[in-house]
Order: sequence, then structure tokens, then C-alpha cells
Amino acid sequence: MIVVLLIVHGLLAVALLGAITHQALSVLGAPSAKGRWTFVDRFRSVNGAAYATPIVVLFAVTALGGALLYPQYRIDVRPALEDMQNSAANGVFEIKEHLVAIGLGLLPVYWFFWRQPLAADTAAPRRYLTWLLAFFVWWGFVVGHVLNNIRGLQP
Amino acid sequence: MNDPRLKIFSIVFGVIYVVAFYFDLALFRYYPAAREFHWLRTDGIGVVILWYGWIATSALASAAIAFAVPRTLAERLWPGWAWIVPTAVVVATLIYERRWFV
Repeated sequence: MIVVLLIVHGLLAVALLGAITHQALSVLGAPSAKGRWTFVDRFRSVNGAAYATPIVVLFAVTALGGALLYPQYRIDVRPALEDMQNSAANGVFEIKEHLVAIGLGLLPVYWFFWRQPLAADTAAPRRYLTWLLAFFVWWGFVVGHVLNNIRGLQP
Repeated sequence: MNDPRLKIFSIVFGVIYVVAFYFDLALFRYYPAAREFHWLRTDGIGVVILWYGWIATSALASAAIAFAVPRTLAERLWPGWAWIVPTAVVVATLIYERRWFV
């Protein structure tokens, strides 16, 4: 059961990572009009507002999955990391849990600023909140995968 | 969901979360080996998870504060605080958690 939950958690995280990365790049500004469009131009030329509600739902559901997995981590993985004297691995996970918690708290205001019609005077907070959430998601994704595979990654 | 007090909730949430984890103000504690929730510290039943309790503390306190703030005041609040305060909270958290890497 825990393996199924871990895989579902990972798949939801992939969807969240894709959505938040699209949106984070979309708020950089309009792609250059001159020349032909690159892959990056096409990647960021999405309607960012359309991603807001799915991102809120995916973030909350993925965090819930992580919360359900956490007891197993606390009982099995963290003591193993402590036995290996790998405090850095524990540290990056501690930061991950803090960022996820702070991110959960940010979802209401993030959603508030992304509601339609988009107000011009909230473009800056919308952009920076999106980048903050993107940082949280990328951190959580990379740390989650590294810790999941840490026995294979260590020499 | 158009209530401007959502801004207050999110601004305050991160600050209270950091205070909660720094001063160990978890609303409750979960002991995964025993599969038990406790309001107070309970020794002898294995490791403890405080994270759920910190989030619960932050959510309840932030909701109470946001609810107490007048709607007009929340509307007038400069929107920039919505990302500046959480960014400062993240920076403070990263500085505090340097302890794992030294």
C-alpha cells in the first residue's frame, strides 16, 4: 500500500511540476515577436490563469500524499540517514517539509491573485508568488527523488 | 473566495508556522510507531511528528487573525506584502536550517 501511495505521490508531483513550471515561465512576459518561436517560447506562451486552480488542487493533494507517507519516512528512512550520519539529507528534507507547509499557507492568496479577470496592479505579487511556489515544488520534487533513491546514489 | 482577508491569512500563516516550529508550538503530536495522537509530549512511545501540529497551529491562528481583521483594512493592504513576507519567512527558515550542513 505504501509503495502505491509513493508512486501516486510521485506522479502527482510530476503533474504539479509541469503545471507550475509552465505558469512560472508564462509570467516572465510575452515571448519575443521577432524571429521564429523556440521551444522555450512555446513552453511559456500558455494561459497562466488556466493553471491556477489545477495547481492549487495538485499542490494540496500532493502535500496530503506526502503527509500520509511521512510516518513511514520518520520510522524507517530518517533513522537510517542518522545511522549513516547523513545530516545533510535530513536537512534538505526538513527544509522540504517547511516549504510545503509555507506553500500550503500561500495557496489562498496565490489563488486570490490569479482569479479572473486578472488585475493589472497585482501582476507583480502574482508573478512572485508563482515563482515562490515553483521554487517550493522544484525543491520538494528533487529532494523527494534524491531521498527515495539515496541508497543507490551513495558510493 | 473573493474575500481580501485571504491575503491576511497567507501573510500571517508563514510567520506563525516559523514561530510554531521554532518554539515547538504544535497543536498536537503524532507518534507514528504507536499510531497515536497526543495533545502533549508523551515519552516512551517512539519518535514524534510535530509537522502536522505546526500546520494545524498556523492554520487555526491565521484563520482567527484573518477573520478578526476588518474587510476594508484587508482591501487596502498593499498587495506586495503577500510575497515579501513569505519570501522573508523562507529566507529566515533557510538560514535557520543551515545547522544541518555545518
